[in-house]
Amino acid sequence: MFNTARSKIQTWITAGAGTIAALFVAGVMGAFGALPAHAPPQLPPGAAIDAGRWRVQPVRAYVSHAKVYGVLLKPGQKALVLEADMTNRTAQSDKAYFDVFEPEGLTLADRQPMIALTRDSTLTPELHPGMTERMAYVWALAGDAAVPSSLGFGVTSEIFKPRDNLYGMPGWFNPYRLGTVTLPVADMPATDTEGGS
Amino acid sequence: MTAVSTDAEPSADPQAEKKWRRRGLLALAVLLPLTLAETSFDSVREWLRGEDLIARDIAFGQSVPFGGGSWKLADLRGGKAGRLPEGAFAVIATFTVTIRDPDLQKQWLGCKLMLIDAAGHRWLPDIIAGVGLPDGVMNCASAIFSGAKPGDTITVGDTFIIPQDAVKTIRPAVGLGSERPWYLRFQRPPK
Amino acid sequence: MKIRVLGNLAILAATVALSYGMQVTKPHYADLTAPLPVDGAMGKRVHARSFDVRLEKVVFARQLKTNQFGQEKLLTTSGLWAVATTSLTATDASTTVADGTWQGPTDLRYNQTERLGYRQDMPPHGVDPGLGKLGLFVFEVPPDQIRGAKLLIAARRFGPLDAQARISLDGVRTGPDGQPADILPQYDLDAPPRDQGPQDQGPQGPAQETRP
Repeated sequence: MFNTARSKIQTWITAGAGTIAALFVAGVMGAFGALPAHAPPQLPPGAAIDAGRWRVQPVRAYVSHAKVYGVLLKPGQKALVLEADMTNRTAQSDKAYFDVFEPEGLTLADRQPMIALTRDSTLTPELHPGMTERMAYVWALAGDAAVPSSLGFGVTSEIFKPRDNLYGMPGWFNPYRLGTVTLPVADMPATDTEGGS
Repeated sequence: MTAVSTDAEPSADPQAEKKWRRRGLLALAVLLPLTLAETSFDSVREWLRGEDLIARDIAFGQSVPFGGGSWKLADLRGGKAGRLPEGAFAVIATFTVTIRDPDLQKQWLGCKLMLIDAAGHRWLPDIIAGVGLPDGVMNCASAIFSGAKPGDTITVGDTFIIPQDAVKTIRPAVGLGSERPWYLRFQRPPK
Repeated sequence: MKIRVLGNLAILAATVALSYGMQVTKPHYADLTAPLPVDGAMGKRVHARSFDVRLEKVVFARQLKTNQFGQEKLLTTSGLWAVATTSLTATDASTTVADGTWQGPTDLRYNQTERLGYRQDMPPHGVDPGLGKLGLFVFEVPPDQIRGAKLLIAARRFGPLDAQARISLDGVRTGPDGQPADILPQYDLDAPPRDQGPQDQGPQGPAQETRP
């Protein structure tokens, strides 16, 4: 193969072309990576949002100073409540809605919200395919925490893989921030929180 | 693949290669089952430790060592008592156990009292509304945490609901985590 | 020389083809380890591995009344309540039957409701050989998931390679719109209605929700 000058040149050209192509691709990819990551978009309030396995429509947000939907507060705490209509978009009953909403720019007493069905205050029931239910996300806050009158809630989505890489099982993976929905936050006096919508 | 490519390599002695190939095949026949046995060993052991598979039949009145104590069938009685479904019978089986090894939480792990009929059907204890255990009799779970010391004799028993047609042939049985897959199956007390 | 090269190429091609064929026809791991369905019909005894089940009746209601810790609760839903009454018995040994799933006509799976809390007649059902027992499975289902649905009953939720009774709900009377012919306005779990006649002639369509 390498015994004539001609084939030597050919080899050099072939190898060189490959290297140049590799460098080019790497350069392009690197350049894309260096682009400023664009911030998750603002999502329109009052519209349904498809967020992975959930279709969510935020309804209202408020601060409660008393027990709300059966969720007890520790003394000196208040609660940030987000009510949203949730629809299970998958083919089976599911309750993986804990990380769908996250209030932005607030110091939470506990990052995990308590989530209740507003119908009868059942805590974290499974939601069934295609059946829309209003759920209340309740985050505990310190009693003196300042809550702005308009608050952004980050919405997290996941992607569906028909086969995961380990077992080939279908499932939802790779959570990512879909965007932010901004809602006005009312302040509910202690007496009027159990009334529902 | 091999058939096509092997003759490219210079082989000094085709007879020797053939011999080694045959040895390799024979080794496979031995190694494959061994590998299978090795990889499934833990699962099989785990399964055996969870199942009451092999009965040791015990005559009535006989006391046998089992799970760090000696077990004896004390009583087996049945009747229509409490609130029972149609065609059902209530049965109470009790055993006297003399403790030797007081570490019951280890020895009696997964303790199971059963009734087994002639056809091999098994009944586990049930709660019968209106029927309690006699005084001084505790069920397996409370016996484990009773703090019994070596030499103590305790009475262990439970209540069962069985269909009427099984009453004639049922025999009480005991399975303990430390003794599985063996379990004790007692002869019924004579009438 | 040429023949050997061609032969090797042929073997290579065959191997690639075989591997590809195996890859694309490989069943899902989830399917390989799925429960094994045992088909049956309403009112017929279905023999699963560790238990027998017979679906006696299915009642639909807009509201469900239950007693929880001595407190009466009236449960509403965005769909319908489906209360399936089964009679259960164990085959060889005392066991429990814990899982019920409503499988809609397009294979949507509705797990039994979690909103009822503990009740004696709700799963897990303890069953014994030779003794029948009535057990309820309660679901929330949209009205369009009733015609052509199947009830799946298994000993537990994730039971790989264990039997799962799959009972077709062909005995459920549905109207031309696919909704059940009889929908009770309210079903009291503690005092189930005795007769099964058409009791509700109320408005069809989505239930009007009332907050308890």
